Amino acid sequence: MFAQLVDGIFWDIALWVFGIGVLWGILSIFRVRNKPDYSEPRGSGTAGAVGANLRRFLPRTELVSRTRLHIVAGYLFHLGLFALLFFAAPHVLFFEAQTGLGWTPMPYWAFIITAQLSFLGLMLLWIHRVMHPVTRLLSDLDDHLAAILTFIVMLTGCMALIGEFEGLRVLHRFTVELLMVYFPFSRLMHAFMFIPSRAFTGAWFGRRGVKA
Amino acid sequence: MATQVQTANRHRRIIVWSLMLLIALMLFLPLIPYALAYVSPEAGGVPNPGTELWRAVRSGDKGTSQVQGVDTGVLINEYGEAWRHFRMEQLIPFGAMLMGSVLVLIVLFYLVSGPLRIPGGATGKKIQRFSVFERTTHWFTVSLFWLLALTGLILLYGRFVLIPVLGPEGFGLTASACKEAHNLFGPLFLVAILMMLLTFVKDNIYARGDITWLLKGGGMFGGGHVSAGRFNAGEKIWFWIAVLGGLVLSASGLVLDLAVFGQGREVMAISHVLHGIAALVVITVSFGHIYMGTAGVEGTISSMTNGYVDEAWAKSHHDRWYAEMQAAAGDDEAEQAGGGAAAGVASPVAND
Amino acid sequence: MARMKFLCDAERCIECNACVTACKNENEVPWGVNRRRVVTINDGSPGERSMSVACMHCSDAPCAAVCPVDCFYTTDDGVVLHDKDICIGCGYCFYACPFGAPQFPKNEAFGSRGKMDKCTFCAGGPLPDNSPEEYASYGSNRLAEGKLPLCAEMCATRSLIAGDGDVVSEIFRERVTWRGSAGFAWGWGVAYNKSGIRKGKAIEGNAVGGD
Repeated sequence: MFAQLVDGIFWDIALWVFGIGVLWGILSIFRVRNKPDYSEPRGSGTAGAVGANLRRFLPRTELVSRTRLHIVAGYLFHLGLFALLFFAAPHVLFFEAQTGLGWTPMPYWAFIITAQLSFLGLMLLWIHRVMHPVTRLLSDLDDHLAAILTFIVMLTGCMALIGEFEGLRVLHRFTVELLMVYFPFSRLMHAFMFIPSRAFTGAWFGRRGVKA
Repeated sequence: MATQVQTANRHRRIIVWSLMLLIALMLFLPLIPYALAYVSPEAGGVPNPGTELWRAVRSGDKGTSQVQGVDTGVLINEYGEAWRHFRMEQLIPFGAMLMGSVLVLIVLFYLVSGPLRIPGGATGKKIQRFSVFERTTHWFTVSLFWLLALTGLILLYGRFVLIPVLGPEGFGLTASACKEAHNLFGPLFLVAILMMLLTFVKDNIYARGDITWLLKGGGMFGGGHVSAGRFNAGEKIWFWIAVLGGLVLSASGLVLDLAVFGQGREVMAISHVLHGIAALVVITVSFGHIYMGTAGVEGTISSMTNGYVDEAWAKSHHDRWYAEMQAAAGDDEAEQAGGGAAAGVASPVAND
Repeated sequence: MARMKFLCDAERCIECNACVTACKNENEVPWGVNRRRVVTINDGSPGERSMSVACMHCSDAPCAAVCPVDCFYTTDDGVVLHDKDICIGCGYCFYACPFGAPQFPKNEAFGSRGKMDKCTFCAGGPLPDNSPEEYASYGSNRLAEGKLPLCAEMCATRSLIAGDGDVVSEIFRERVTWRGSAGFAWGWGVAYNKSGIRKGKAIEGNAVGGD
């Protein structure tokens, strides 16, 4: 009963909300028009946009000593999650069943180590966020909800690893649907927005001849 | 004549007796090996080849088999019974008794003596006890510890406690989820334990005064004030139980988790025994740690939430650490007043 | 009800592995799983003996005692079976079993074994008798058809005997009488003969053969 809903109507709803929500979010940001900039350009906007996108993968040297944990844990979590989402064998099978496109998944042990590093990053980052007085003040409900929801999705995923218990697979898919519905309305949108937003700032600064 | 008759009689007697002796010997001599074998089975006689083979097989002699795999040549696993006995008749009942009785003792202690108040009440002046990184390390370890402890306890006791509640299918699903989570999160606990060790080891080395602290039961008996540094002897003992127990748990857990290096049933059984004992000891002692950190001692919990404790708390429970902190703060103030360097950034929160 | 038993007469076993092959073929067991294997002791020296070994369906089954999800059960015929819908693949039954009977289709890092598989005495599992689902999960259910396990039926030297414990012991006793010595037979009633292990339903365990 519940399994049919999760595999059927709930999935459809989640997919539509996710798809339309993400598109709407991206389009509405691109539709925002800034005032025209009549100043004499001192540098290339395009170069600034590309440069900012690449440079921000590396931490600012002045801040490295104070953000070591964020850098290490942040990369562990994000890269791990990306690899899990697209290269875990059950996910590849799922995508193949949904779209007909399949690719080579990671071996089981690599998939588990990736999941572990990802969990390590997520847990350290969230606990640090709560423990640090400044980030605690900066965080609102959305930050905590996004982190906890992501953790629950990953936890149910790891609980369903054996792949033999239907109930656990349904539970994992249900939490994924919750996350997909929540996604467009939260800062999780940074998954799609981080490149355009870096590009925007980079172009703005580049035009003025400033490194962003 | 008489002598002739006598001689004939004697001959007849000799013949009769010899015959009887012969018959007796014929009957009894063959029994000697049996008698010997009966008295001492090892000595004498040819042992039954089947018995000998049987004995060799039971003591774990390895044979060969066309079936490839770990231990396929072993006909009888001689450790199976010892392992079953340990798990079902020692670990499960004694572990439950240990955890249950410590919980009951803690509740009784709380009901009888209540929480330990800050003498003279809180002053309102705060002093930082744990940095952001120390607290992050602590709560990261806590999260993993309880995730693993709960999933492990469900696997150990679920058969008796949860099957009546969830039914066999429901519990099968729960146990599978717990097993997978336990196997996946286990190796991360090693990371947490190592972070814990590196962060806190410098303050957990034996220092003068720890024996006195222990002898006075942390101030419970003997009267008088008990002096302590950043961590008192009780906290140090808990630290070493947690770290060493954690290392035993991680090492044995990795042997159980990564069963791809050809380790056989003997190694797995020994690892399981170590894992079970270490887990139940650390879980039981953690009850005491949780009690002391929350309900047991007033004003302690804030040291792990926002990192600060009241000055009166510090003076009462960790006087030597308090003195060191005051001295260090005094030095800082003197330095800042003198040199004027290191401006505002030296706030305690930035110290992660 | 009968108490089903296996008995392997080591004086007759020639290590031909026909029982192993018959079992694999009849039950279409997963790759890497061998419900039955032949072990040779003193291979190549005088006194060499071979024995075919699989689950012995103990009355005091230690696998059932240690199973964290309690998925084992004993049938009225004294056959120890398990429910793969409940099994979590923890491997505990394999540590406790004297014979190494429980098998796992996988052995990957991080405890991934898949569901346990073992000899069912050709008696299927808890699903409906001879249904395709039962065959897929547990293999053949010959017992429900009134047949005995194929490994024993296939044994060329009649070394491996399967069936009602009384009949099996009678056959062996007759052999011993003719042969003049017991030799060594491989049979089993109880695993460790200790109290405190879950007993099968009203089944008296008495070992056949051995010392």
